[in-house]
Amino acid sequence: MDAVTDRSKYLALAVLLLPSLIGMFTFLMLPVISSFVLSFTEWDMIGEIGWVGFDNYLAALADPAVQAALRNTLVYIVGYLPAVVAIALGLALLLNRRIKGRVVFRAIYFVPVVTSWVAVSLIWKWQLNPQYGLINFALSLIGIKGPGWLFDPSWAMAGVILTSIWKDIGFVTVIYLAGLQEIPEPLYEAAALDGATPWQRFWSITWPMLAPTTFFVTTISLISSFQVFDQVWVMTQGGPAGATSVMVELIYKNAFSYFRMGYASAISWILFALIFAVTIAQNLLQKRLDRSDG
Amino acid sequence: MTILRRSIAAMLLATAASPAFAEDITINYITFSAAPNYIEELEATIAAFEAEHPGVDVKYETAGWDAYFTKLQTMVAANKAPDTFELNYENFVTYAQKGALLDLGPLMTADPGFDAGVYNPTALAAFAQDGKQYGLVESFSNVVLFYNKDLFDAAGVAYPTADWTWKEELEAAQKLTDASKGVWGDFAPIQFWEFYKTIAQNGGSILSPDKQTVTIDSAQNVETLTWMIDKVNTYKVTPSDVDMAGQASEDLFKAGKIAMLRTGIWLLGDFAQNAKFNWDIALEPGNTQKAHHFFSNGVAVSANSAHPQEAYEWVKFLTSSKAAVDIRVAAGWELPAVSDTAAVQGYLDQAVPESREVVFQALDTAVVPPVVGNWNQLTDAVGKELDAAKLGQKTPEQALADAKVAIEALL
Amino acid sequence: MADAATLVDNPVSVIARQPRPGLRLSDLATYALLATGSVVMLLPFAWTVSTSLKTAGATFVTPPELLPAPATLDNYVKVFDSAPVGQFLFNSILVSVTSTALMVLFCAMSGYAFARIQFKGRELLFYAYLATLMIPQQVTLTPLFIIMNFLGWTNTYQALILPSSFGAFGTFLLRQFFLRLPREIEEAAFMDGAGYVRIFFTIAIHLARPALATLAVFAFMASWNSFLWPLIITSDQSMMTLPLGLSFLQGRWSTDWNVLMAGTVIGTLPIIALYVFAQKYIIQSLSHTGLK
Repeated sequence: MDAVTDRSKYLALAVLLLPSLIGMFTFLMLPVISSFVLSFTEWDMIGEIGWVGFDNYLAALADPAVQAALRNTLVYIVGYLPAVVAIALGLALLLNRRIKGRVVFRAIYFVPVVTSWVAVSLIWKWQLNPQYGLINFALSLIGIKGPGWLFDPSWAMAGVILTSIWKDIGFVTVIYLAGLQEIPEPLYEAAALDGATPWQRFWSITWPMLAPTTFFVTTISLISSFQVFDQVWVMTQGGPAGATSVMVELIYKNAFSYFRMGYASAISWILFALIFAVTIAQNLLQKRLDRSDG
Repeated sequence: MTILRRSIAAMLLATAASPAFAEDITINYITFSAAPNYIEELEATIAAFEAEHPGVDVKYETAGWDAYFTKLQTMVAANKAPDTFELNYENFVTYAQKGALLDLGPLMTADPGFDAGVYNPTALAAFAQDGKQYGLVESFSNVVLFYNKDLFDAAGVAYPTADWTWKEELEAAQKLTDASKGVWGDFAPIQFWEFYKTIAQNGGSILSPDKQTVTIDSAQNVETLTWMIDKVNTYKVTPSDVDMAGQASEDLFKAGKIAMLRTGIWLLGDFAQNAKFNWDIALEPGNTQKAHHFFSNGVAVSANSAHPQEAYEWVKFLTSSKAAVDIRVAAGWELPAVSDTAAVQGYLDQAVPESREVVFQALDTAVVPPVVGNWNQLTDAVGKELDAAKLGQKTPEQALADAKVAIEALL
Repeated sequence: MADAATLVDNPVSVIARQPRPGLRLSDLATYALLATGSVVMLLPFAWTVSTSLKTAGATFVTPPELLPAPATLDNYVKVFDSAPVGQFLFNSILVSVTSTALMVLFCAMSGYAFARIQFKGRELLFYAYLATLMIPQQVTLTPLFIIMNFLGWTNTYQALILPSSFGAFGTFLLRQFFLRLPREIEEAAFMDGAGYVRIFFTIAIHLARPALATLAVFAFMASWNSFLWPLIITSDQSMMTLPLGLSFLQGRWSTDWNVLMAGTVIGTLPIIALYVFAQKYIIQSLSHTGLK
């Protein structure tokens, strides 16, 4: 854009970027920076703030509770993320087809997203009940004896993952739908004329054109699933026997139950470092994939 | 000259002692027990207080129990703590130890109208720490044995008496349990709070009386935990978590599916209204001795309050004035911990259940939670070990041994 | 395969996809799949509605009954009786609508800036934005409260609205959208002498309508369901938002599930309504998009 002078560029930035920047800084970045400072302190929220340097970080990295929470969080991510992205994509493809009543269907698939976690956890705790729930009943119809789900430490996380996938599908589908809408119809028509099968059309047109959307969805889902909390809090409170204790649950407990705000902040920043690293890695991977596609 | 000086001094003293000031003073108060059912009662109490203390306004805030401490702590952290706030006993100890509360002792001594005897002495002592009175007790509650008389009659079992021990309880439970009808004889949850009381019924404890030694792994405690778990797994008189199918024990009791239930007196009103069968309460059976829970809520003044005197007047009024006590008893809004039994007569006179005096009898064998610093971490750590034992991941012995290690790390 | 660039003469010329006449096998399969999925999706919400219409005893029976018999609206009456729900609704609507409008505007502007304007430190600043998504709310709440206290804004509407009006998620979403937008139209406008700002307000923002509608739904939802922040920042019941007000229906010792579900339904309906409205708007706006 040679036609744009520096002055007009900075003027444009002032109008377009500055409002967001001021708000982001005051209400989001400042608290984030504060939490970083707090992570080097010991503070019970009531008395004085005491400087402890890196002690919190060292303690957190050696803390078996933190290690267990991290493990559980990673299990959650591995179980949740690929499933949600794949199922939502499939669902978006279905909902994008020219069928009657797709507005109604789209609304239906979004209902779980807006249903409150209190209601969702009640229902799902019921459905996951090993004796009376629908899930094990359905499994028994095909000859499988269902596990103890939320009562069994080995299966509790699976139950939480299942519930989360169910609840979040609609959210990711909406984003994919928006991405699908942007793919120009003439592309498909030309491909159909060329004799391409639906499968080929998907791989040569849909999937590449969706790449930015997939990147967005994966990034956002990664960031949010590292911070999974609400569902664990209402469904299992981190149990049974700590099987579903995740990072943010540990952070919450340390901040508001154990009077250890400094320590909680340190754990948050360890989590941050992980999320940031994974996001950058994913970004680089995406760029490399884009380049190889040509 | 002297007369003039004396009269000026007297005038000054008079104005200093008078509670009325030029502009209204606002005292903030935050509570969890008032919402959602007792807002009217709280407002009535405030109105009565403001009538007696013109020039002082009380502004209240409420928060649900789950989020209460998140909110309170954030306010304290931002130096915006309310002048007065409600605390349950367990959190009270932590706040007192951390210096968040005002020592009410000097205000109490300087107050001519104050008589500490108006409070139940045990309850009042609970809100003292290191010899200083950091809070005033507002209410207390405890846990007793609720039983379904109709189910007892149908099974031909005699009602629980004060002489019952665990042995009689188990025998009755076995006769009352009817798997075909989905009826369970007995219920007590396997969790931390139930645990520290149940072990007391067998002569055990979590910590030594001076709180310096951890005694959670004693042989008696192992025996107790084994008994609690056996009732579910071996004798099958108590439903497991899976059997409960996500329902609360009180809901099952109301549905007539549990014959004996150890739960809190805060459910008396609910059961009186919604349990469509004959029921009553009894003292909990112990093993070698009796023990009952003692839960208590108190009110404290923030150490940073700008109006300590008025704040003190408010908490004193809320916890012990006749007006406040009467309002509380009439509405069934927890039990005031006052020593005047006539004041709680209204509570005792209510028809259901018959044996209401059990509530006060249970106070004789009360077990106070052994609160130490890092209390919440302690309850979480022990809870995790109890979970493991409950699930069969560890033997009761192993679970309690691990719990001891965890607690020692926290002390 | 045909080259996308040559085929596309209008960057966003997505023709509205009208349903084709006739029923094909693949359509039948689609219906079957979607219908089965719908039952799974709707069951919990159906149970919520059903419970809200039931009397207390009928809730926890096994096997669970879906249809309330008898059905009653008592629980809804109780919700309105037990708390000033009208006031909560008003607060929630005011806060959510305002913060959504602000969020959509600020994120569209900043997303466009990040996508189109080259400036030093752009990548770094964008990562700083993303970083705010990576710290859990639990540890930023207290500092934010201290900031609000410092500004003297505790228990005010602006304290409820403003933190929800800014977010990296929206900026990220709109940035991605603008990145994908072919530049031909903008380049033409630049040739005509228009600046970034004018292009944004006259062209870009209209092209972005589907993304804006999507963001509006998410922003509204996040603001509407927000619980922890309103809890901490409000001290008068008259300032409370709906989820906060409804949380009082959950007692410390026991909960009246029927009334709670009624409250939940009241809290959920506005979002569903908004979503349906936004969906139609998205499809509509696409069919009207054409060449200038």
